[in-house]
Amino acid sequence: MHDAAAKSLSANVTGSSETYRASLLRDRLWRAALWFCGFIGFLLPVAIIGYLIIEGLRFVSWQFLTDYPKGSPLGTEGGIWPAVEGSLALASIGLLVAFPLALGGGLYLSEYGRSQRFNKIVRFLVECLAAVPSIIFGLFGYAFLVVFLKFGISLIAGGLVLALIMFPILLIAVQESLRSVDEAYREMGLSLGVTRFYLVRRVLLRKAWRGIVAGIVLAVGHAVGSAAPVLFTASVYFSKGGLGLDRPVMTLPTHLYNLVSEAISFDQAFGTALILIAGLLIFNASAMLLRRLGGGFTQ
Amino acid sequence: MTRRFFSKSLYWSDAALKALSFLALGTGVSFLLLMIVFVLRESSLGSGFTMNLFDFLVRDPWAPMATPPSHGIFHAWISTLVITGLSLLLAIPLGFGIGLFLSEVAPRWVQQVMQPALELLAGIPAVVYGFFGYVTLVRNFEVWFDMPAGECLLIAGLILAVMVLPFVASTAAEAFRSVAQELREMAYGLGVTQLYVMRRVLFRKALPGLFAAVALGLARALGETLAVLMLAGNTVAVPHSLLERGQPLTALLATELGETVVNSAKYQALFASGFILLIVVLGINAVIWILKHHFLERSHA
Repeated sequence: MHDAAAKSLSANVTGSSETYRASLLRDRLWRAALWFCGFIGFLLPVAIIGYLIIEGLRFVSWQFLTDYPKGSPLGTEGGIWPAVEGSLALASIGLLVAFPLALGGGLYLSEYGRSQRFNKIVRFLVECLAAVPSIIFGLFGYAFLVVFLKFGISLIAGGLVLALIMFPILLIAVQESLRSVDEAYREMGLSLGVTRFYLVRRVLLRKAWRGIVAGIVLAVGHAVGSAAPVLFTASVYFSKGGLGLDRPVMTLPTHLYNLVSEAISFDQAFGTALILIAGLLIFNASAMLLRRLGGGFTQ
Repeated sequence: MTRRFFSKSLYWSDAALKALSFLALGTGVSFLLLMIVFVLRESSLGSGFTMNLFDFLVRDPWAPMATPPSHGIFHAWISTLVITGLSLLLAIPLGFGIGLFLSEVAPRWVQQVMQPALELLAGIPAVVYGFFGYVTLVRNFEVWFDMPAGECLLIAGLILAVMVLPFVASTAAEAFRSVAQELREMAYGLGVTQLYVMRRVLFRKALPGLFAAVALGLARALGETLAVLMLAGNTVAVPHSLLERGQPLTALLATELGETVVNSAKYQALFASGFILLIVVLGINAVIWILKHHFLERSHA
């Protein structure tokens, strides 16, 4: 769209149509290269997800989803229900623990914390720790929960580790969504003489819930997909299903890892990968939808 | 005290909410901080670490079964460096290209398709990337390069590049977008080409943001576990070429921790490597944070 201007002017400035033509050609090539970059950026996710769907669809059925691992070695036949159940249970415990803490924390930072410096330091710590590799969380969970507190490799230990991973993500989401609520609502509410408690409950949370829910979905999606933190805090190769806080569980990502690394069954691995991806896609799509519907929070 | 204005119960419910929310914040953040302290404690790096730091990092091999056992992590951080370097070498040019494309060239509808596509890429779990790399690249490498087992540093680096690409690309796009529109218009008004504007104006102005994009990619790549665990081959030899197998730090931790006696020398060595990784990533994150704020303040000015 800038071509026309560039054309007339750069011809005059350089005074030579040859240099002008060369630079215009270079510009075209450059733009073509950028389109190519964009194309690759689009092709990669489509190709990877398309490949997993096409290859995996053959192995996925209702029975695959709801049956227990069978065959010999175990896992070559049957389904993955205990892994689905385990992953859901772990994520629920994580969310149940992390969400109240993050809601309170975000509320404090956005509504109560008066000291700019305090808020900034907390935010700095949280943002730095939010991006710590998940294997480190696993390491801590193993040393602190499994060994030191003697929880053993169990649902509760894994759930707490996932809670710790979710906490910073949720906290940032809550704070940002609350902060994006128009300041006028606060001033109006407070000038009407209501308490902050009332203001938070009846106005701010109602305005910010979309962003908060989007944050929850992102955090849960992240937690469900990561294998490193539950590898040695919660997961076992096989379980007969049934959940108990003090018992280990199977999870989708670790099950996929075991199937591949022990070369048990690639057919089953394709099915497991598809279930995992499909679940997360639905999660992420709903987060995107919620955000588009008008939450203030952007990751 | 403006609060005297309220009835007592209202005042107390408000004060209770404030206290509770502070408590929640404190609990969450202190557990995060406890993580750093506890990993350090378990490594006994401060006191009673049985190895000389130089031996640990550079000289000794990883041979926990040997007599006497030795727990050097040279092979691991070399593998980490090679894989991370390779992945960034691929992801940075492509990511910057995508960033420029999104911010300067792409029509609106293309942007609207690309953004969710990149989010999709970022949302695929590491273990699925590992699996994908295994069934596509590893099997073909065995045929193409006539290898007995296809896992190698090259594959791990390639897949890792795909994994960090969305983070580099979207941060770069954000950096380019935040360059003031007047600067573009001024430059175009002077009659220069788009390439010139990108090279001489956008790249310079967006530099802190681009640096943050690289740092973000670096932090992601260093800490990635499952994909490199499945693709790098997991051998303790020091790799000499990209087609050899290796064992990055994260893979070392994931492989060994489950079968290690608590508080043994090996356990300490594992936690020490974890602590080093933790500190490096925290440092990178701190740099990102500073850049982001510096950057925001500048673009507002």
